[in-house]
Amino acid sequence: MKTQLMTEMMTSISEVMETMFFLPVEFGQTAALSRSGLDAPDIMACRLSFSGDVSGHVILAAPETLVLEMAENFMGEPQDQLTPEHLSGTLKELLNMVCGNALRSTQTKNPFALGIPEIVGLSKMPAESQFHMVDTDMAKLGMLLHTD
Amino acid sequence: MLYSIMIVDDSLPMRAVIKRTLKAAGYGGSHLLEAANGEEALALMKNSWVDLVITDYNMPVMDGLAFVNAMKEQELFQDIPVVVVSTEGNQSRIDEFMNAGAAGYVTKPFTAEAIRDVIVTILGEADYEDTIDDGDDDFDF
Repeated sequence: MKTQLMTEMMTSISEVMETMFFLPVEFGQTAALSRSGLDAPDIMACRLSFSGDVSGHVILAAPETLVLEMAENFMGEPQDQLTPEHLSGTLKELLNMVCGNALRSTQTKNPFALGIPEIVGLSKMPAESQFHMVDTDMAKLGMLLHTD
Repeated sequence: MLYSIMIVDDSLPMRAVIKRTLKAAGYGGSHLLEAANGEEALALMKNSWVDLVITDYNMPVMDGLAFVNAMKEQELFQDIPVVVVSTEGNQSRIDEFMNAGAAGYVTKPFTAEAIRDVIVTILGEADYEDTIDDGDDDFDF
């Protein structure tokens, strides 16, 4: 089930990034947090819990420069007018759409329920946590899927 | 004809995207009201005429379903059409909203056309002379 979920998540991130943020993506390799570049200080991360036949959470992490570009494309506002609230809201909305889209494409007996996305820090995560890397033209973002 | 449209979503960027989509769809001249959850929206609606509500489902304080149910319980609001725009797209959730009286349901990620189509079905074609041209080509129809 976790493999199926991850496949749906990757398909979903591609669709959402292209439809809503006008940023095509390519899938990279899996990398440990300590070797992914996602432990840098300018990384923004967001977590969303889900429950259903399988429960768990998804973490999405991206450099602030990429989130800024995404927010500009998403909202149609110039970067110099975007606030930290716009950036965190954009990352939360990306994760919300990616998970919602992926989970409704996953065959289960009972529908999934989504939590509310929250901004988190990655500093306390184990260095060996495995992130699936996603490449955009300007930077990489990482996704971690954890099932209970 | 100008409309008064209420956008209910806890996400500030998503409210901005919906506003941008409405402008591109020809409803840019409408009076757009915003609220971060159902409770805020109900409070605003007590003092403002609203022709259409566009609401998210997953919100803190009062979610979209509780909000639609609360609207339908109040005579003043029960005839206002509601369009749900949500990441949750399973059929049982959609049925819950439609049974509660929602007029339309759009799943995220959405295209501008998807929003436009459902709104046109409810309000009719927008008067394009009312559109505010913000120079944004990405969302043009």
